[in-house]
Amino acid sequence: MIEGFGSDVSRTGITGPGLVEHLFRREYGRLVAVLTRTIGVQQIERVEDAVQDAFLAALTAWTVRGLPDDPGAWLYRVAYNNLAGELRRTAGRLRILERAGDDALAERAEDPAPSYSASEVADDMLRMLFICCDDVIPPESRLVLALKTLCGFSAAEIALRLFTSEANVYKRLARARDRLRAAPFGAETPPLDTLASRLPSVHAVLYLLFNEGYLSAHAEQAIRRELCDEAIRLTTLLAEHPAGAVPETFALLALMHLHAARLEARRDGMGGLLLLEEQDRSLWDHERIRLGAEWLERAASGEVFSRFHAEAGVAAEHCFAPSFGETRWSEISNLYAMLERIDPSPLHTMNRAVAVAEWKGPKAGLAVVATLAPPAWLTDSYLWDAVLSDLHRRAGDLGIAQRHRERALASAPTDAVRDLLRRRLASSI
Amino acid sequence: MPKYLFIQRSVPGESQRPSPAQMQAMFAAFNAWKEKFKDRILDMGGPLKPGGKVVTGSGTTDGPFVEAKEIVGGYMLVVAENLEAALEVARESPPTMIPGSSVEVREIRETESS
Repeated sequence: MIEGFGSDVSRTGITGPGLVEHLFRREYGRLVAVLTRTIGVQQIERVEDAVQDAFLAALTAWTVRGLPDDPGAWLYRVAYNNLAGELRRTAGRLRILERAGDDALAERAEDPAPSYSASEVADDMLRMLFICCDDVIPPESRLVLALKTLCGFSAAEIALRLFTSEANVYKRLARARDRLRAAPFGAETPPLDTLASRLPSVHAVLYLLFNEGYLSAHAEQAIRRELCDEAIRLTTLLAEHPAGAVPETFALLALMHLHAARLEARRDGMGGLLLLEEQDRSLWDHERIRLGAEWLERAASGEVFSRFHAEAGVAAEHCFAPSFGETRWSEISNLYAMLERIDPSPLHTMNRAVAVAEWKGPKAGLAVVATLAPPAWLTDSYLWDAVLSDLHRRAGDLGIAQRHRERALASAPTDAVRDLLRRRLASSI
Repeated sequence: MPKYLFIQRSVPGESQRPSPAQMQAMFAAFNAWKEKFKDRILDMGGPLKPGGKVVTGSGTTDGPFVEAKEIVGGYMLVVAENLEAALEVARESPPTMIPGSSVEVREIRETESS
């Protein structure tokens, strides 16, 4: 019947200790996406409440009676009925108040629960992603809305992951929902082929989601991994769908795989960070590197060379270098130069300076830095001082190196970063 | 062996809904609990639907009482050597994991003829 639902559940088994990781969260995202399309994006809060209540009902029912044959379909049916009941009551209330009775709502509530194929569920998930990235949603609300509706995180869980307060998450969600409530009828079912104009915004949100996991200073590796996995899951969905299958998406997905492959190896056994040259390359996930390389190959079609292409190219150079010493720094320098042209940022220039220093020596690296008019946010960050300390030390200017080292250590955001800086910049004393 | 009636109560509207990840953890814990005490759980009972009627000698009224601070949400039958053993089952039972929910444990008095 409802093929799209439950397939994960029944295939892998939901019982006991073998419970599929994140199954409830994933199922939540699927149910919210499908029901939002059925009922209307204006009702998204009700949809989320109904889905959550279905899970609560499942907790008791499944514990008492054991699992239904198709748990996904069970959840869908209960959530749908919750929602239909709620909409009928609302329509009734509206009539009592002699307001313009919302017949559309009542009509929708009478629809029999429709059935979906897996590909339609994928359509719905993508629609939801595009809704989260609609221009009407304020940019700072988009990621939060996606984490809430598609990834099934609560406000508290989002706050923990984005290093912000729960109140702030609620505020961003409320702004997003206000806009959705005012959305015109039918906004939940835009034809997917009209969504191409929103792709850059979708890419930006997925990139942000990945980096929240990859670059986060979060102490818990599992939490970082989880965000990276969510980003990869949604980007894969996009890449495999006609609405999102463009070279930029492939490059973005390649970039994610190539970074994620090295995620575990970036940490030592004690939770500290490891420098690239310290990492045990045999710990890199070679299956993931292969996947990344495949997507990068697919990305290399067409005319477009996006910032994701350049970044994935850099990641690929690192992944395929047999050792730190054998890294092709000339290629990496060129890729950063391309990145600077596509997306000018002093950070890219700093990265190029580091690559050039490895390629042509520290003085050449310093010459690249000298071309910069660095903004205050950069000179105030530990990265700026760390790079300058390292380059000056290697160029033999020990006094300047020491001054930058002290500043870098003072502005390091976490102890893990500070430890890493101490090791990297140690010999400048 | 004595039997015990477990009465689950909750405060309506009090509890914050758990997140999907929390609910998944709860479900795993529920199943572990059920497995651990399977010899003591006589009847898992079940959740009660809201509404219902109250019947007395003088007639029938709507119930349960809307003004009640706590409402009975479910029941269960447990067999245990003594109250302490029954409480052990209750302490780890699903309702105690849900915020704002409680379990009342009452021994069922044996009648002379049984």
